[in-house]
Order: sequence, then C-alpha cells, then structure tokens
Amino acid sequence: MNINASYTFNASPQAVWDLLVDIDAVAACLPGLESLEPAGDNRYRAVLTMGIAAVTGRYEGTVELQDLDPPNAYRLAVEGRGKPGFVNGGAAIALRDTGGATEVTVEGTVQVGGTIARVGQRLLGSVSKMMMDRFFACLQKRVG
Amino acid sequence: MSTRIFGSGIRRREDPRLITGSATYTDDLTLPRMVHAAMLRSPHAHARITAIDTSKAAAAPGVIAVYTHADTEGGLQPAPCAWLLPDSDLKIASYHCLAKDVVRFAGDIVAVVVAESRYQAEDALELIDVGYEPLPAVTDPEAAAAEGAPKLHDEIDGNQAFHWKVAGGDVDAAFAGADVVVKDRIVQQRLIPNAMEPRAALASFVGATGELTVWNTTQNPHIVRFLTSLVLGLSEDKIRVIAPEVGGGFGSKIAAYPADFLTMFCSRKLNRPVKWTETRSENYQSTTHGRDHVQHVELAAKNDGTVLGLRCTVHAGMGAYLSTAAPGIPTILHGLMLSGVYTLPAVHEDVYGVYTNGVPVEAYRGAGRPEATFMLERMMDVLAARLDMDPADVRRKNMIPKFDDGHEVVTTLKYDSGDYPGALDKVLSHADYAGLRAKQKAGPANGTYTGLGLATYVEICGLGPSQVAGAIGFQGGLWESAIVRFHPSGKVHVFIGASPHGQGEETTFAQIVGSELGVDPQDVKVFHGDTDNTPMGWGTYGSRTTAVGGAALALTARKIRDKAKVIAAHLLEAAVEDMDYEDGKFFVKGAPDQSKTIGDIALMANVAWNMPEGVEAGLEASTFYDPPNFTFPFGAHLAVVEVDAETGAVALKRYVALDDCGPQINPVIVEGQVHGGVVQGVGQALWEEAVYDEGGQLVTGSMLDYALPRADLLPDIEVLSTVTPSPHHPLGVKGIGEAGTIASTAAVYNAVMDALRPLGVTSVRMPLTPERVWQAIQDARQAKG
Repeated sequence: MNINASYTFNASPQAVWDLLVDIDAVAACLPGLESLEPAGDNRYRAVLTMGIAAVTGRYEGTVELQDLDPPNAYRLAVEGRGKPGFVNGGAAIALRDTGGATEVTVEGTVQVGGTIARVGQRLLGSVSKMMMDRFFACLQKRVG
Repeated sequence: MSTRIFGSGIRRREDPRLITGSATYTDDLTLPRMVHAAMLRSPHAHARITAIDTSKAAAAPGVIAVYTHADTEGGLQPAPCAWLLPDSDLKIASYHCLAKDVVRFAGDIVAVVVAESRYQAEDALELIDVGYEPLPAVTDPEAAAAEGAPKLHDEIDGNQAFHWKVAGGDVDAAFAGADVVVKDRIVQQRLIPNAMEPRAALASFVGATGELTVWNTTQNPHIVRFLTSLVLGLSEDKIRVIAPEVGGGFGSKIAAYPADFLTMFCSRKLNRPVKWTETRSENYQSTTHGRDHVQHVELAAKNDGTVLGLRCTVHAGMGAYLSTAAPGIPTILHGLMLSGVYTLPAVHEDVYGVYTNGVPVEAYRGAGRPEATFMLERMMDVLAARLDMDPADVRRKNMIPKFDDGHEVVTTLKYDSGDYPGALDKVLSHADYAGLRAKQKAGPANGTYTGLGLATYVEICGLGPSQVAGAIGFQGGLWESAIVRFHPSGKVHVFIGASPHGQGEETTFAQIVGSELGVDPQDVKVFHGDTDNTPMGWGTYGSRTTAVGGAALALTARKIRDKAKVIAAHLLEAAVEDMDYEDGKFFVKGAPDQSKTIGDIALMANVAWNMPEGVEAGLEASTFYDPPNFTFPFGAHLAVVEVDAETGAVALKRYVALDDCGPQINPVIVEGQVHGGVVQGVGQALWEEAVYDEGGQLVTGSMLDYALPRADLLPDIEVLSTVTPSPHHPLGVKGIGEAGTIASTAAVYNAVMDALRPLGVTSVRMPLTPERVWQAIQDARQAKG
C-alpha cells in the first residue's frame, strides 16, 4: 500500500532537517511510542502500541534513517512485529525550500501481515495517514 | 412401502436440541485434567524460518509445553493426501503439521503451546520469537504456474501438483468443422466455506492403556481414525474418533488437519486431555477453502445451435499443500461432468493443479460440479447470444432426451436416469418465461435492466462404487454399512457408518426404517459418528449419506422383514410362502385379521420362547452396501435479476429451483437443503470472495470483509421438483445436499449478463459487486465510443 503526503513547515530546510533527525523530538511526536533506544548508526529499537480497526497491539522493531542527504532527503525504514502481525514500511522523505517555508513530502509504502492484514487492511491507509498527520503536526508545533 | 412415512415432511428430530442449545459440540466438552492448545500461525505467506526461540513462552504462567517441528520428528508424520489421482504426474509436497524450515501460507502452523487455560496458551504465543526471512509469494493459480513464479516446494517444478486430462470424441475435428466457436475466460474465485461451528479437537490419550479418544469436528470420523493411525503411528484399534454434534461442514470438515493431529500429539506427549478450538479468524486462514479455478473455455457449434465440442484448460489453485481429498475435486468431480445434461460429441480438458501460497483448497459444497456446470452453462448462454437464439432453445436443442435406465456420455460416465427437457419445461412454464421475456423486450425502466438466467445441471452423487474409488485413486472404499437392532419393546436402534452433521438424517433414516418395517419413526434412534459404536463408514460428502447409507439401511430393514416373516409364519402356523406383509403387519394371504405386528415379532425374537427351528434369537441385521453406480440428480434453475445501470447494484428478484433427487423421503428437508445450497451458490455469483493481496495476505480475513449472503438480500426461493427414480438404488433416491449450489451460481451470473447485454457487457469477474458491474458498464460504453 502506498501512502503519500506533504507537510509545510514555517522554517528553513536546515531547521526542519535538524528536527527530523532529532531523536528526542521524533520520540516525543511518534503516536503510541513506548520507547526508542539507539541501536547503531542512525538505527533505533522501538516499541510502539498501535490500533488499527479493532486490532490493538504492541510492536517491537527497528527504525532506521538511510541515505542521509542533509538537508534535502533521506529514507526511513521501519520494521515491527507483534502479536497482531508484522508491519514493514519504507518512505522517501524530501525537503524543499519554498521561500521562507519548507515543504516535506513523504512517499511511503506499508506492508502488513497477520491479523492486521486480515482484519485491518481496509483501514490501514487511513490509519497510517492519520498517524503520519499527527506526527508531523506535532513536529510543526515544535518549529513554532 | 408406507407412503405415510416415506415422503412425509415430518419435523427434524435433531432440531429441538439444536434450537434450545442442548446439543453438545466438541468445544462444549470438558474432561478432568484437560489443558488447552493454541497454534502459532505464520503471518507471512512465504518465508524461511531462520530461528525460533520458545524459551520465554515456555516460562510463561500456566504454560505446560511448547513444541516446534523439531519436537515432532519421529512422533508425527505429515498430514496425508488421500486421493492419489492416477495418470496425472501427481506430486505431493509434505504437509508437515508444524512447518519445517519454510512457511508457505499465512496461517501455516509454526509452533503449538499447551497451557492450563486457553488465555494463557494464547498469551504465550506472543512470546515465541520467530525469525522469518520473507520470500516472494504467489496466490493466483495461473500466475503460480507461469515461468519465473516463486517456487513453493524445492522438489516440485512449476508448482505443478498434477496435470490431469479428460478426453472423448474427436475434439479437433469438432472445432475444425464448427460454424461458430465461442470462448471465455472464467475465474471461479476462491471461497471460504463458513460452517457455523468452527473446527475443534479434543484429544485424550491415556498412557496406561495406550488408547486415544478424539472428539473432532469432522464429516468422516472413520477416515480421521485411519489417517490418525498413520500420522501418529498408533494402532487403529487403539483410536476412537467421535464426531459429536457437528455444526455444518460444506466440505471444510472432510480434511484431516495438522491442528487436529497436533492436538492429539500434545495429548500423547503430556498424557493429559488437550483441547483446541479455532477462532473464526483462524478458520478463515487455515480451514480449507473452495473453488479457485481459472478456466479457459471454448465451445464449438453449428449455426443452428448444435454443440459439437468443448475444449478447456483449467488452472486449479490447490493452496500450499494438498488437502486430504483435494486432487479429486477439480478433476474427477469436475472434468467428468463436462457433458452436463447435453449430448456433447467431443471434449478435451487439461486440468493443472497448482501450488499457491494460500490456504489449501478442498471440496466446498458441490465440489467440482459447480465449476463444471458454470463453464458449460455460461458457454450455452454465450453461444445463444452469438447466434441470437433464446438460451432456453439452445439448451433444449442439445439436451439428452428422457431416459430411464442408463445413458453413457462422452466422459465415459453412465448417467442413471433423467428427464432434462421435462425439468427445463416445468421451470419455464412455472415462471412464465415467455411472459418474462416479453416484458424484458419492453426495455429498461428508470435505468434498471432486467435479466433472466438459466442453468441446467446434472451432478454426480452417491459416491460411489468402491471399485471405481480404487480406479480413481481414492484411498478408501465408498460403500456404507448399517446395523438395525430391534429391542424387545419393538423400539429400534440404528447404527450407521455415515456421519451426518446438519443434514437431518437422524430423521430421514428413521423414516426409511419406519416405512420399510411399519414402525413409528419416533421409535427409531439413529447412532452415528463414533468409530467405537458404529460400523465402518466413509463419511458424509458428495451427497452420499442418504444415497449410499440410506440404501444400506433399507436393505438391512428388508433383511429384518424377511426374518420377521419366518417367525410370523411360525407363530401363525402357516408356511412362509403363504405369508403377506403390509404396513408392519404379517398375516396369511387373504386373512389380514389374524396378524402379527413387527412389535410382536421383536418381542418373540428377543425372548425366543417359541422360535422356528433353526432360526437364531434376536431381530437384528446388518448390510454393507456398495453401490453399482453413482446417482445423477439433475435440475433446472431460473434467476431473475434487476441491475441498476447507474450504481451497478444487482437485485435478485426471483429464484426458481427445480431439483430432481428421485423420490423424496422428507420433502421439507429436501426443500431446506435446496434453500441452503441455492444461497451459497448465489453468494459466489454476487458477494463472496477470499482475496489475497500481492504479498499473500488474506485481506478478507473476517466477516467484515468477506461478504456472506444475508436473508434480506434474497427473494423467496420457489422450489419445484420432478421425481425420476434411480433405477439401481433400492429406494430410487439420488441425493440433494449439494444440488442447490451447483446450478445457482451460473443461473444468477447468466441473469446478470443477460441484463447487461444491451449495454455491451459480456464478461465480469465474480463476485458481481456493484463496483465491478459499474466498471464493466463504463468500460463497455467507452469501447463503444
């Protein structure tokens, strides 16, 4: 499943970049995040609680920032699994200066398996989008 | 034979306990020291298992044991495939009860946890750490057979489980000499059977005796016993399989499943009773599915509508492993039925059984015959449209004329009896077909298009002669047996090998005994579904329980009548050849006033105070009935639909079902079977589909997304019948359990296509959801320009 979105920040690309790779800020803004611990270069172990449709579950996995090209672009790779199944996702994130503001575009794919796939697939797109919206809205607030 | 009892629509004796919650299903049972099993199922459709760590789960509260494949080595053989299709290059992949190294469908079992409570077992599943290396998956049968497709089993090339052929007549000449050839590509989508009761097993192994008792949701307990002895390496006499109340199966309770064997294995290991009951979600991802064909069909005909030949290629998705009876479904029960009710001079079909990363596919109500009927009946309509003939006329032109005692068709089957034109004509006149067509010609009203759809069919039931079973690779017999025992009071116990699970045979079997021996059906108790307390039987599927088991029972009752007559003659001091029998009374010919009832005889036979010389005490008999041929029920169905061209919504307005199952023992039960069957067939045409995404995830994983038929979407079903007895059957009966399903998918599909014909739509993939119908209408409009 593909998920695409874009968000505008009233800040320079560098300021937005700094925020996006600031692991404390990311941890504070990720909905349902229980813990985020470093596990190598640009790699973190994450524990996340998430509900899709009637399926709420706890997922353990990794988040990795790849192909860093500050302050223009990077890739985000997420892998998680828990009782409701597994979630694998990847996103290409690009920052673009729009003159005084920065537009962040996200082109992502999500793959799920297990109970979430059987029961939650219909809602997966909208739930993923909602979580992303919340995440970026939280970061936007931090930029002020 | 008393017409009072045979043919009477008495109420089902099963129903009071079923509708008051008094019935005992497998999951209702609790044994002392019983513990609970839960299965860890793969979330991946295809992956290599890189590691399994069960230590945390093993240490969890209440957990007694956790087993993975390594623990079962030597103690558990793979779940067997028991239909070894001959001449088909059959390749059976090992279906390990616990996945070994590789998982091949989302739902394949990786580990089993046994705990004191079910909650503890389920919770512990989460603590098992399995490393998976995902592999590419394929779920479409055609794609799985294509070059470069992900390979499921290392040792099996092209994912090909088998290649089976049926050929008769000169099909090349038929096509060469044809005026018209019509073609279609038909997808018989994958369906989920949805028995009301999910599957369950309760296994109790007693180490001190070495005996295993298993309560199991099965359609065929004796087959489960046999396969259990192979899989667990236990002697058959040490195994007792009981099918208590079983809440429907539709084919999904034929297979002997890994989860059942695992439950038994755990009980044996732990020397404690172990119960496992699947959730509905687990049912969807592991209990066998049905259909899943991609069919390429060509029909050759003359300009006057005479059919010359049928040529087809079918890719049948088998799922990741071959289920117990799976290879016979898209082949024997499908390909041999391709002549339908027609005189078909030539046929050639290639069927490729293909491994895919899906749940194994098995029999589903109709099992092969709906897929054959649909192909043929769809092509009849396509031909009619091409020739601008009425679909009823094309059918009538090609129908086999009425016959009473045998008709051999091009696929080598010998139909027993039939009156196909009679069935069609009765449906047409009942429905006022001519009037409906005239109304349809008036054109659509408010964007609503009316369509009429016909489907005629003949099916193969009463499976079947055991000699044929052997010839077609079925690893068992197909006879049935019955014991009838009269008690001194004249009450009767019947012990039968067949295993009804919702079809009402406790009632119809009592009616058979009642009518043969003049006893009240209320006084006949039918025992079934327990391998220790019933004679051998081969199970309930293929509409065979009344057709084969009922014959065994009727013949047994007749043996009892013969013995009773000898005793009655003795008591009346008459010669046996001077005796007469009517309605449960034995009397000297011409002197019915002086008679002995079957009850009198039962008492005398049981006390044995005054028996004829050389006659044993007791009034009991048994029969093993091996049918000389299959039975061939048939019928004609008509659907009337309305399609809203703006929304694509299809409304089923009328449904007329004529089914000829021979003489009806209980017409109310027959009607009920037809209703249920029709609804499941309509479900395939309009609503139901098991959908996998490109990664092999079942996205219709619950009833939220898998659209089962609802009562409010269906019209009253108009049930008609004709009665054409089977010439070779002791009661003339043929079988009705699957009839409704076999014609209804084609009838409804044809009706929708008939409605869409003015809009230029000729083919839509099932199910015919509003979205698909709407899209097809848009595409046809665009193509027209």
